[in-house]
Amino acid sequence: MFSLYKKEIQSFFYSPFAYVLSALFMLIFGFAFVNKIASMQTSVLQFSFPDMFYNNFFYFIFIIPLLTMRSFADERRGGTEVQLLTSPLTITQIVLAKFFAIVTVFLFMLLLSLFFPIYVALHGTVIWSSLICGYASFFLWGLVCIALGMLFSSMQSSPIIAAIIGEIVMEGFLFLDQFAATKMVQSYPHLNSVVTWFSMQRRFVFFAQGMFRLEDLVFFLSLTALVLFWNVLYIEKRRWNHR
Amino acid sequence: MVEVKNLTKHYGKVTAVNDLSFEIRDNEILGFLGPNGAGKSTTMNIIAGYLPTSSGTVNVCGHDIKEDARAAKRCIGYLPEIPPLYPDMRVEEYLRYCAGIKGIRGGEVKKEVEKVMKRLQLTDMRRRLIANLSKGYKQRVGLAQAILGDPELLILDEPTVGLDPTQVAELRKFIKTLGKDHSVILSSHILSEISAVCDRVVIISKGELRAVDTIENLERKMSGSPILSLTVEGEQLAASFVLGEVKGIKEIQDIIENDDGTSVFKIQLEDEKVRQDIMAALVEGGINVVEMSMERPDLEKVFLELTGKKK
Repeated sequence: MFSLYKKEIQSFFYSPFAYVLSALFMLIFGFAFVNKIASMQTSVLQFSFPDMFYNNFFYFIFIIPLLTMRSFADERRGGTEVQLLTSPLTITQIVLAKFFAIVTVFLFMLLLSLFFPIYVALHGTVIWSSLICGYASFFLWGLVCIALGMLFSSMQSSPIIAAIIGEIVMEGFLFLDQFAATKMVQSYPHLNSVVTWFSMQRRFVFFAQGMFRLEDLVFFLSLTALVLFWNVLYIEKRRWNHR
Repeated sequence: MVEVKNLTKHYGKVTAVNDLSFEIRDNEILGFLGPNGAGKSTTMNIIAGYLPTSSGTVNVCGHDIKEDARAAKRCIGYLPEIPPLYPDMRVEEYLRYCAGIKGIRGGEVKKEVEKVMKRLQLTDMRRRLIANLSKGYKQRVGLAQAILGDPELLILDEPTVGLDPTQVAELRKFIKTLGKDHSVILSSHILSEISAVCDRVVIISKGELRAVDTIENLERKMSGSPILSLTVEGEQLAASFVLGEVKGIKEIQDIIENDDGTSVFKIQLEDEKVRQDIMAALVEGGINVVEMSMERPDLEKVFLELTGKKK
């Protein structure tokens, strides 16, 4: 399992892939950062990192699918899927190895973005609790997105289509709140509670206030596990439906 | 080594493989022969554990491929029709990765990879990107990953497709040496390949088993009464008269007249020994014999007959 993980990591870092994506990520982050500073009131001179993270979620859902799109689609295309599935590795191991590899690249990107808070800390004060929770929410949401992106990658043999579907679904997830706020959903309390439970933005509010709730941790981790498990089942199912 | 019992595979409503049963013995090269679309690749994919069966069982080295998949997969080296290569990896790096996913332990990996590279003469190519290799070398790398870790069973799906004649000859020789200490399943639609390399053949057509036997036995079974091909010089009629006198000739099937004044007779004999009588009679009749040979139905005929392409 470790060799598969290593191979995946190498495929990101031995090619320009990880670097180009990280550059894009830093660019977006940098824009948000500069914007925040430019729009500061002269009397207050403060801005919030969680706010920045929140804005970034919308850009970010375009980056994650780019990371995940190749994971299974490429294996299928290149005929290497056969090798993986005829190796002694179980499908769960394959999915997990790929998942952890992408999470590693994701962590690398987050690590780079630490530049901004560190820079701020050098010239001013940073509220660490809300910053750490901001990162935590970003990371947890990233896990869900990576799992989702991988699922669509294993459903498609074209990486581009996998990426686009991933973007659509992640976008949908982010807009669940708006959906929950509509009159139609509000008029059905049961439906409303389900939709709200799945909504992300509501959870980010707590993180932004520097609150790390067990409930949210469980939510994100279990959602990630669920989607990964779905992926395992999907690959298994495809073996049966193969033609 | 491998036991396939009543193997059936449906793709939706299409039956790709129907009730296939055969076995592969220890250290034998089994040829898997059939026209395109006969179900060769499907069967191999099932034995390798890539596809599940619709019904029936496959037992590899004492492990059921369904119940005990991991143990079974450990004894299999598989080279699919399209070699599973990553174009952006280097040869050595790729083989190390393959060794890793096959569960070869850390210390053994280097040794094993070196051994395999040496065996397939890839040592000079170790630093090359797979994308830049020629087709022949790619196939070799594909074969290298299959034999990594010395699996007891090797499944090679049309390994010689797209190679030049020298490479094909080399590869066949290599597969023969593999057969000494491995069981090998080799699929092909090239008959000469199968008869050159394999000990036994499985012939399938439209997903159904047509024959499992050694090549000699198959040819013998098909031959029926022997056929003599005789080329003589001069008058056809004269030769026909002489032949008419010989006892033991069942039928003169065909007479072909050549431009250079010779004629070819295809004669069905009751027994191979009649040949000597014919020769004697021809000499006595003063007829010049240019050529005389026994025709054996080769694997090609067997194949066509069994796969139902020829009536």
